[in-house]
Amino acid sequence: MATNWNRRDFLKNTSAATLAAMAAGTPMTSLLTSCNSKRNNAKADSVILLWMAGGMAHTDTFDPKRYTPFTTGMDANSVLSTFKPVPTVLDGISFSEGLQSIGKVMDKGTLIRSYVAADMGFILHSRHQYHWHTCYKPPQSVAAPHLGAWIAKELGPKNPVIPAFIDIGQRLTLGEGEELKAFHSAGFLGNEYGPFMIPDPSAGLDSVKPPVGMSYERFEKRNQLYKELVNQSPLGEYGSDYQKESLQRSMEQAYILLNSPEAKAFDLTKEPKESYDIYNTGKFGLGCLMARRLVEQGARFISVTTEYEPFKGWDTHENGNTRAKEMKQLIDAPVAQLVKDLDRSGHLDRTIVILASEFSRDMMVEGRPDLKVQEQVQQPDVIQDIKNYGMHRHFTDGCSVLMFGGGIKKGHVYGKTADERPCKTIESPIVIDQIHQSIYHALGIAEDAHYVIEKRPFYTTQDGLGKAELKLFS
Amino acid sequence: MKKQFKKVASKKRLLVVALVIVLVFVLNPFFILNSYAGDAPLAASGEAPLSTASNSFWLWNFLARLHPLTVHFPVSLLLFAAILELFTLKNFHSKLRPGINILLAAGVATATVSIIFGLLLGRGGDYNEDTLSLHQWTGISTATLGAVALFLLFKISRNNELKLIKPYRAILIVSAIGVCVAGHLGAALTHGSDYLSSTLPWSKDYEATPVKNVDFASYKNDTVKLSKQEEQELNMQVKTILAHNCYKCHGPEKIKGELRLDSKKMIFKGGEDGPVIVAGDPLKSDLFRRISLPANHKDVMPSKGKKLSEGDIATIKFWIQKGAPYSEGKNEETNYRVAKLEPRNPSLPQASTDLQNPIDLWVNEYFKKNKISWTAVVDDRTYLKRIYLDILGLLPSPEDLNNFARDPRPDKRSVWVRQLLNRNDDYAMNWLTFWNDALRNDYTGTGYITGGRFDISNWLYNSLKTNKSYNQFVKELVSPGKDSRGFIAGIKWRGVINASQRTEMQAAQNVSQVFFGLNLKCASCHNSFISDWKLDDAYGFANIFADSSLEINRCDKPSGKFTSARLLWKELGTINSTAAAAIKQQQLAELMTKPADGRLYRTLVNRIWAQMMGRGIVEPVDLMDNEPWSQDLLDWLAFNFEQRGADIKELIFLIATSKTYQLPSVGFKEPNQLFAKDYKFKGMLKRRLSAEQFADAVSSIVAPMYPDSLVKFVPFIETPAEKSVEAKPVEKKAAPTLTPAQKAAADKIAAEKRKAAKKLAEERAEAGRLVAYKLFTNKSILLYPRASLVINNKFLTALGRPNRETVSTSRESQANLLQALELTNGDRFNATLKTGAENWKRKYGNGDVLIKEMYRKTLGREPQQKEFAVAKKMLGPTPGTESIQDLFWSILLLPEFQIIY
Repeated sequence: MATNWNRRDFLKNTSAATLAAMAAGTPMTSLLTSCNSKRNNAKADSVILLWMAGGMAHTDTFDPKRYTPFTTGMDANSVLSTFKPVPTVLDGISFSEGLQSIGKVMDKGTLIRSYVAADMGFILHSRHQYHWHTCYKPPQSVAAPHLGAWIAKELGPKNPVIPAFIDIGQRLTLGEGEELKAFHSAGFLGNEYGPFMIPDPSAGLDSVKPPVGMSYERFEKRNQLYKELVNQSPLGEYGSDYQKESLQRSMEQAYILLNSPEAKAFDLTKEPKESYDIYNTGKFGLGCLMARRLVEQGARFISVTTEYEPFKGWDTHENGNTRAKEMKQLIDAPVAQLVKDLDRSGHLDRTIVILASEFSRDMMVEGRPDLKVQEQVQQPDVIQDIKNYGMHRHFTDGCSVLMFGGGIKKGHVYGKTADERPCKTIESPIVIDQIHQSIYHALGIAEDAHYVIEKRPFYTTQDGLGKAELKLFS
Repeated sequence: MKKQFKKVASKKRLLVVALVIVLVFVLNPFFILNSYAGDAPLAASGEAPLSTASNSFWLWNFLARLHPLTVHFPVSLLLFAAILELFTLKNFHSKLRPGINILLAAGVATATVSIIFGLLLGRGGDYNEDTLSLHQWTGISTATLGAVALFLLFKISRNNELKLIKPYRAILIVSAIGVCVAGHLGAALTHGSDYLSSTLPWSKDYEATPVKNVDFASYKNDTVKLSKQEEQELNMQVKTILAHNCYKCHGPEKIKGELRLDSKKMIFKGGEDGPVIVAGDPLKSDLFRRISLPANHKDVMPSKGKKLSEGDIATIKFWIQKGAPYSEGKNEETNYRVAKLEPRNPSLPQASTDLQNPIDLWVNEYFKKNKISWTAVVDDRTYLKRIYLDILGLLPSPEDLNNFARDPRPDKRSVWVRQLLNRNDDYAMNWLTFWNDALRNDYTGTGYITGGRFDISNWLYNSLKTNKSYNQFVKELVSPGKDSRGFIAGIKWRGVINASQRTEMQAAQNVSQVFFGLNLKCASCHNSFISDWKLDDAYGFANIFADSSLEINRCDKPSGKFTSARLLWKELGTINSTAAAAIKQQQLAELMTKPADGRLYRTLVNRIWAQMMGRGIVEPVDLMDNEPWSQDLLDWLAFNFEQRGADIKELIFLIATSKTYQLPSVGFKEPNQLFAKDYKFKGMLKRRLSAEQFADAVSSIVAPMYPDSLVKFVPFIETPAEKSVEAKPVEKKAAPTLTPAQKAAADKIAAEKRKAAKKLAEERAEAGRLVAYKLFTNKSILLYPRASLVINNKFLTALGRPNRETVSTSRESQANLLQALELTNGDRFNATLKTGAENWKRKYGNGDVLIKEMYRKTLGREPQQKEFAVAKKMLGPTPGTESIQDLFWSILLLPEFQIIY
C-alpha cells in the first residue's frame, strides 16, 4: 500500500471505489467488490462433502450409547442406541454396528461428536439444510450462496475444464425440491458459481459428453460449423463487444470440457470392476467413486449426497432401526474406500473430506432438551411394534461429523455428548460457522472473506464472526 | 533638496512599475493554473471543455485551444488597471500612473490576441449558441472599449487634455466590468451555466457534491486537507467500522467498560478509564492503541471476534489524525445523496422538425452538453426485431419483416408499435416475466409447501393484459385482495424467523425496493450505515403491514421499544397507527400513489427504460438515490407518466417511437464501464435475449421447447377477473327503469352472453390447454406454451431465470460455462432441435430453400454468399436430420441471434 498519496491518486482511487459502491444491487457479478485478503497457507485444494441427508442419528452411527435390543413392550425412554457398539481402530472409540469399514480408517481423520445444529423452532429439514450449506437461516433478504459457490468464487476451478462446484446425487424434483433449490445456488454470487448438478452418477458422463446420440465426430463437425458461421456473421462488423465475446468464450470452454480427457473422470465404466464393485452400494456409493475420480482430475468442490427426500433416506420417522441399517450399508464401504483411495494416491493430503448431516435424531426429544419444539412423530412410551424402534425425532443438540485430509488431525476425537438421555453435547460444542471457517481455513480462504452486495458486506459466515476451529488441524 | 526629492520620486516610480509588472507575472500564472485545476476533473469525466472542428488545419486548432489560456491575461490586466485607476482618483498623476499605462496597453494587446483565438475556437465547438454569441460580442466590445481607453489615455498624457480624464476613467471601468462579464460567459460555455451557482445552497439546482468513496486507509502519512464532503465520507467509513466491530459490546445492548461507541457524545466521553480518543493524536488515543495490538495481547480490541483488518485500523488512525470529525443527527448535512421526493416538470426544450418526441428533446440537450452527435437511426429490420422483443418478447416472422419493409406509411414505425402494444395477451406473456422477477412471484418455490406463500399470477397477468394503470396496480399490491396478496404476504418458512425477516418486514423491504428503488434491508436490522434510514423508520413502515405494532428488534434482539406506523416520507401524509393492517394498507395505497410521490413514478419509468435500453437513467435501478445521467429526462418522464394516467403502455410507446430508442446499439468492452461514474449515454446497449425470449424463439422457429405438462400457469381459462369483466356490463344495463320489452331484450342478451361464455369455457376445457393458446391471439397463432408460463427448469435457470425467492429487478446477462454446457448438450434443447430438424426435413426437401428459410426465420435476413456456402457444404446434397439439427444449433448460438442489437 502506497504511503504517500497525492491528490491525483486520490482522484484516481475515487473512481474505482465509487464504481464499487455502485455495484450494489446489480446482478452483474463481475462487479462484485472483492474485499478479500489474499489466499494464505492453503492446506487443501479440494473439498468433498459427503452429505447424510435427512438427519443422521448420532447414537445409531458414530456416537453409540447404551444398546437396548428390541423386545415387545420395552420402555422407549430406556432406548439410547438400537445397535451394538463395535470398536474402531481408535482406542476406546466405538461406532454403531454396520460402520466397521469407516471405523478402520479413523486413524486418517477426526471424529467430531459435538456438532450443535441451529435452533430454528418447528423443524423443517430443508431449512436446516439451507443453514448448514450457507451458514444463513432462511429466509434472507439477499440470496445466500452455498458453501461450494463461495469456494468456486474464491478459488475458481482447480482444473479449468472441470466445473468448480459439482453436486452429485440430488434430484430437485422431489418433495421440498423448491426449498432445496433455494440453497443449491450461488445466490448473489451469480449463476457462474452455481452447482453443476449430476443427479445420477451412473449417468454422469451424459453431462459432459456430446448430446445423447451424437458421435464425437459429429460433435467436432458441429463445432467447426459454428466457428465458421460466427466468423461469417455480420455482427462482427460492430467490432468486439463484451456480450459477444463472453458468449463465444463460454461456448469455447464448454467445447473444451466436453472434448477433454478429464471428462472421462465422469465415466464410471472406466473404473476397474473390482474397485467399482466396492463402491457400488447404490447411487451414493457411485457418487463417492465419481468424487474420487474427479478429485484426481482436479475438481474443486464436490458434494455427494444420500439424497434428501421427505421420509426417505436418513429421514427416519419410523422403522428407524431397520432403515439405519440400510443406510449404513449404503455408506460404510464407499466412504471408507474413498478415504483409503485418496490416501493411497496421495490426494488426501490436499483434499478435505467432510461427512455431515443437518441434525441428529433421538427417540424421545424433538429439537433440543431445553428448547423442545412441536413434535412431528408419534412415539409411544411403550414400544410394541418394531416400527417404533428407532431414532425418529429431530434432535439438534449433539451430532457427529467426520473430517479427513487437508491438514485435519489424524486419529483424533473432538467433543463429547452425554452418555444418558438427553445425549447432548457436553464438551467442545462446535457450530456451523466454525465448520465452514475450518474448511475455508484449510483452503486458505480468509475468515473475513466477503462481498458488498446492495451496499452491505455479506460474509462467508454471519457478520464475518465465524472462527476456524484450529484444534481440528494438526 | 527639490532635485533630490525628484530623484527619489522617480526612483519610487520605477519601483512601483517594477512591482506592478512582477505582480502581473506572479498573479497571471496563478489564474491560469487555477483554471486548469478546475477543468481537470471535468476533462477526466469526459466533459471535454475544449472542442474544435477536427477537420481544419492543425495550427488553427492549436491556437484556438490557447484561447482559454490567453483570456486570463486581459481579464486580470484590465481589471487590475481599473482597480489601480481607482487609487488615482485624487491625483491623476499619482506614482501608479506608469504602471496603469503598461497594464492597460498589455491588457488591450492580449485582449486582441484572445479575440482572434476565441473566434477560431467558437468556429468548431458545439456550444450553446446564444451564450456563445453573447460571449463573443461582449469580448469584442470590451477589447474595443479598452482600446478606446488606451487611446484617450495616450491623448491625456501626450496633450495633457485633462477634460478627457473622466471619459477615460468611465470607459476603463466599463471595459473592466465587460471583461468580467465576458469571462463569466466564457466559463459558462465550458463548465455549464450553473457551474458556479449550483454550489450555492440557496440555488434551486443545489446538490451536494456526490459523496466519494475514498480509500482513506491508504492515506497513512498524508497531510492532505479534507473537504467537508471527504470528512463526512471518512466519518461514515469510521461509523461503519465501529458498527460492525464494536457496537456489539459497546453499544445499546452491552456497555462494556462503560464505553459506548455509537454516538458522538459517548465516543468522546470515553469509558471507565477515561477518554479513548485524543483528537489529532492517534498514538495517544486508547482506542487506536487497543485495536492495533497483536491478536493475542490481553488488551486487544475487539476482545472477542476477529481483529480489525489493516485497512480498517489505518482508516481509524487517519480519522483520529484528522481530528476525529463526527457528525450525527438529522439536522446535520447528510452523508448520502438523497433524491428529491417531489415531482418536477422541467419545461420541454423547443421541438424542431427533426426532433419531436420529448425524450429526444431531452436527450438532445444531454447530447449537446456532452458533445455527442446524433447518428442515423437503425434500419427497419433491426427496429422491428427490437420492438417485437421489447413489447411481445417474440421475434418478428419473415412475413412481418416483409410487410414492415413494404409498408409505405411514413409513420409506420409508430403504427406498428401501437399494433404490437394492442396484442394484449402476447404483451402480457412477455412482461409477466419481468414482473414475476420483481414481485418475486413464481409458480413453485419455497413456502408453498407449508402454506407460507401465495401466488399472484392470475391477478398479475390480467393486470398486464388490461394495462391497468400503475396507480391501481400498486394499490392492489400494497392493499391487496385475495388474488394479489402474495406480494406483501411474503414468504414464510416454518419455524422461528429472524426478526428482520418476519413477513411484515419483508413487505416493508420489498415495497420500498420495488416501488421506491430504496434499500431498507440494512435499516430493518439496525440503523443503516449506508443511508440515513433508521431502524425506527423501517419498523414504522413495517407496522403498516402489521395488525399491532411490532416490537423493535435490533440485530434480532428485542428492544422493548415500539414505534408508530408511518410512511417513509412524512410529506406524503400520515397513517392511522391504531387501525387494523388492512386499513393502514388502504391508507398507504392512497398516499403512495399521490402525484406528490415523484419517487414512485421515477422508479417505474427508470425500470421500463432500463428494460428497453439495457441500462437505467439511474443505476442500479434499485438505488434511486443515485444520480441520473439526465435529471431532466427522468423528471419529465416521471411527471408526465403520472399526469397521463400512469399508463405503462403509453410510456413504452413513447420510448419505442423516440429517435433515441432507434439509435444504433452500443456495445461495451467491460461491464463495469456501464456503472462507471463517467458513463455517457449514447444509445441502447446491446443486450442478450432473456431465457424466456430465447426459449420462445426456439419454440416458434424450431419446435416447442416445452410440453403442455410443464405449463404451471394457464392464463386463459376462467380467471376471476375475466368473469367479472363479462358480468359487469350486463348488470349495468339491467336497470330498474327499463320497460318490460327492454328488460326482456336485456335478459336475452345477458342469457346469450352467459351461454357464449359457457360455451367458450367448455371449448377451452375440452380442447385442453394447447388450443387455448390459439384462441386468443389475433395476429400470430402460437402453437406452443410461452416460456413465461412454465415451471422453472434447468434450461431457463442456466440462461438466467432467477429463483424468485427474493426480489430481482434485472437479469444477469453474462455468459458462463454452466450456461454454455446446457446449450451444448442439454437434453431439452437438443431434443427440441432434433424434433425441429425432422419437421424441417419433411417440409423442405431442398437444401437451398431450407438454408434460406432458416436464416430468414432466425436472423431475419438472407444468408450471405459465404454463409450459404458454409451451410450448404455442411448439409450436403440431400440434407439429413442430423445436419439440419446441427445447422440449427450453430445459427441459434450465434451472437447475432442471441443479442438484441
